[in-house]
Amino acid sequence: MNRRDFLFTTLGSGLAAVAGLPPGILATPASNLGFRLTDVTDAAGIRFMHNSGAYGGKLLPETLGSGCAFLDYDADGWQDIVLLNGMDWPGHKRQRSMLRLYRNNRNGTFADITKAAGLDIEIYGMGVAVGDYNNDGFPDLFISCVGQSHLFRNTGKGTFVDVTHSSGLFDRQGLSTSALWFDYDRDGFLDLFVCNYVRWSPEHDVFCSLDGTHKSYCTPEAYRGDTCWLFHNRGNGTFEDVTATSGIFDSSSKSLGVAMLDYDQDGWPDLLVANDTQPNKLYRNLRNGKFKDVAIEAGLAFSTEGKARAGMGVDVGDFDNSGKLGIAITNFDNEMIGLYRATAPGVFDDVSIVSGVGAPSRNTLGFGCMFLDVDLDGALDLAVANGHIDETVRNIRGNVGYAQPPQLFLNEGHGEFRDVAAEGGGGFDKPRVGRGLAYGDFDGDGDLDILMTTNNGPAVLFRNDQLGGNHSIRFELVGTKSNRDAIGASVQVFAGDLHQWRMVRGGSSYLSQSEFPITFGLAKRDKIDRVVINWPSGRTEEYRDLQASKSYKCKEGKGIEPL
Amino acid sequence: MQKAAFSHRSPTTRLLLGLLITLAAVLAYSFYITVQLVGLRELQSEMVDRNRKDSLQLLRIENDLNSIALAMRDMLDTTERYPLTAWTAQFERIRQDLDAAMKLEEGLAVASRTPNQRKFLTQSVAQFWDAVNRMFALAQSGKKTEAREQIRLTLQAREQALSTAVSRLLVENNEGEEQAAASIAKIYNGVQRQLYLFLAATLIAIVLTSLYLIRSNRRLFARLADLSEQRSDLAQKLISTQESTLRHISRELHDEFGQVLTAIGSLLRRAGKQAGEGTPLYSDLKEVQEIAQITLNNIRTLSQALHPVLLEEAGLESTLDWYIPTVGRQAGIELHYEKSGKPFPVEPGAGVHIYRVLQEALNNVSRHSGARDAWVRLKYSGDSLELEVEDRGSGFVAEKMQRGIGLVAMRERAELIGGTLAVTPRPQGGTQVRLHIPREKVESHAA
Repeated sequence: MNRRDFLFTTLGSGLAAVAGLPPGILATPASNLGFRLTDVTDAAGIRFMHNSGAYGGKLLPETLGSGCAFLDYDADGWQDIVLLNGMDWPGHKRQRSMLRLYRNNRNGTFADITKAAGLDIEIYGMGVAVGDYNNDGFPDLFISCVGQSHLFRNTGKGTFVDVTHSSGLFDRQGLSTSALWFDYDRDGFLDLFVCNYVRWSPEHDVFCSLDGTHKSYCTPEAYRGDTCWLFHNRGNGTFEDVTATSGIFDSSSKSLGVAMLDYDQDGWPDLLVANDTQPNKLYRNLRNGKFKDVAIEAGLAFSTEGKARAGMGVDVGDFDNSGKLGIAITNFDNEMIGLYRATAPGVFDDVSIVSGVGAPSRNTLGFGCMFLDVDLDGALDLAVANGHIDETVRNIRGNVGYAQPPQLFLNEGHGEFRDVAAEGGGGFDKPRVGRGLAYGDFDGDGDLDILMTTNNGPAVLFRNDQLGGNHSIRFELVGTKSNRDAIGASVQVFAGDLHQWRMVRGGSSYLSQSEFPITFGLAKRDKIDRVVINWPSGRTEEYRDLQASKSYKCKEGKGIEPL
Repeated sequence: MQKAAFSHRSPTTRLLLGLLITLAAVLAYSFYITVQLVGLRELQSEMVDRNRKDSLQLLRIENDLNSIALAMRDMLDTTERYPLTAWTAQFERIRQDLDAAMKLEEGLAVASRTPNQRKFLTQSVAQFWDAVNRMFALAQSGKKTEAREQIRLTLQAREQALSTAVSRLLVENNEGEEQAAASIAKIYNGVQRQLYLFLAATLIAIVLTSLYLIRSNRRLFARLADLSEQRSDLAQKLISTQESTLRHISRELHDEFGQVLTAIGSLLRRAGKQAGEGTPLYSDLKEVQEIAQITLNNIRTLSQALHPVLLEEAGLESTLDWYIPTVGRQAGIELHYEKSGKPFPVEPGAGVHIYRVLQEALNNVSRHSGARDAWVRLKYSGDSLELEVEDRGSGFVAEKMQRGIGLVAMRERAELIGGTLAVTPRPQGGTQVRLHIPREKVESHAA
């Protein structure tokens, strides 16, 4: 925090106390960007510290975690928060650490209900996938872990039950990372895709050293790859491992991030997997339960130099409102973010340099990344969480630090972005060992707030406040014939000359998941002409003349109503 | 004879010859460099670049083989939960990439690869995939153990053999690159050596040509100075001869014809008296006497014009006092004569040249300027004598002046008496002629 921020924070807190306002309301100086971010972590009651379990053994998973998610676990219309945690390694127990579930108190604060929800178990959690796999109206949690991952079914009564055994997901070890729910066969039940990094266990940890004496963290080349997993939801609460039969199986992959997309726009969800030091995979859905990797043909497998980069996080979005897909993949330092834009059907070009994203990310190691319209101007911006894996990196590469500032690339139109992290306020640009990143409108003001996790450090919640008077419109989709979360539904909004589309998706970013409701920035427009929803079931619905600055709930085949 | 000798020493031929030799050398060197560059380019594109691209494809093949080896290692891991058939898609992906790489590599390596090497590689890969297909067929039919045996006994060995063959090709490519690098270095060294030689030869040619030019220029300037001196001598001799001839004619006219006519006039006057006034003879004699007197006057005027005897008898100042009003009347120009300074005697030999310069200057005013007025200034100063003639007419027209020899003669006369002549146009129009003579030159003549 610089001196100006300190003065504003101190003064703001004092004024807020006098006026009886919630803490943090005056905490940051005004921004000229049209929005302002405020660090409301403490004010919101989020007191979370990630425990990587690091004790000096330099075990590989310590560098990776963990993720976070916005979810409405109690279906009250307010976004709650889940923060994953690691744990101490066996034989090195110092503390008890667990994931945290925070319930939204609907007043800008959260309550830690981990214990009450039955989630106070110690696991080495990495990523989280939120999805209502049993279509009961309450989101369930898949927690990817080091070792055995866990599936928690939401009872709908404020608690979760570990159904890993009964669901058929038990008895499989892995260094699992990102995961997502999606309905690849469009049968109305969410299937589960899980990334695995490398074949690792504490017993088979490899000794790597930078100085020949002291152990350091190994790069993934030292380990065998591991296949991702695809589990088909039988619709009865159990899952079938279809990894081998679906064509997903690849024992060479070292996967960290996954995003769903419809890259060939055939209405069937495809998958993009970011691999570390291995070619990225673009699994095209062949509509028959099988997938085919087309990443090389699509230009997404390698860098423009033909090198497999160290892919970490990934997200997908139409950032130029062209109706074509855009993709962001974070990579290791010296590799830049890969920002791709579809130039022809199924073919992508890396536009990171010309877009202004490449050069600022040359010396950063990116993890979580997500497209979001942070200033509600109708164009998707890009947020990135950065942080190195090696505490001593500055000794080797002087211009690269362990803690690194997150980046917020504001979309300036014409395919160009500008990093405004330092101008956004709230200390967003403070160097952190960033990992997970998610967005959600936790305060119900129509704009997207940001949640970020750090490795072995605190999680940070940034509240977003609009200063320029831009409007938004939000849609919460509920599937009836389609899966209840409507994952895979595409939403198109037409407002004058502004045409945007989004897809309801799980996954993306890194080990994290953003909220399900779709938010469209409309700038100064106070209404939209129409919205067109294509449900995964194949049904198309259209609604006209909707007022901005409102949230709408669309139930498949049942109409639309403002919230 | 002198002219022939001079043309014989002209440097033009030798310079042209030198230029031709230099151009020939530049052309020859350019040709040499072009040939070397073409060779270098061919060597780089045909050998080095191709070799490098081929090596990249070989590395891609090696990487694919390595991926296959890793996959087979995983397949032999009995703790693996997935059936062997799960690797089908993975192998298919690798096969597609391997086939593409092999095809590219074959195109790139066509020059360096022996037919046996090519055959071995193609056959080995085909045999390997046949074995893979057999292995997957076994796995498909549930014969996991046999399939693993196939991997262990056949596939791994074949993969190893393929890897070794590809590694050997990579080594060959590296050796080829080293040889090409040596050839390139040789070409660079040759070009460098030739470049130094060319530069040295060019430098020597430039130095020799420069020395030759300097020597030729010196000779030319010396010859020019000699010619200029000769011309000046000739001009001055011409002027002196002219003056002496005019003086002689003037004296002859004045002395001989003047006396004869004076005598004729006296005799006629005497004869008239004898004939008596009023007689027809008296009238005739009187008329003849008047004719004789007019002729005598004309002869005296002509004599004075040819050479002003007055200069020798009364000096420059008096001569000008007489001459300027006379010429003004004759030419119809209003001449304003101004004298300044303390006069000093001017030697007649110098005076005649000053007089002639004035004569020519006023002649120019009368003929070319179109002016009605002109100013003549005679300035005596402590160390010089200066004569100025100025008009406000149409100005100095160099072309007109250059047509005659008047200006040249004026300059020669000025030089003859150690002075300088400046002819300058006046900014307001008209011309100023200024003759400047150091006093000692005038006095030395007097002495």
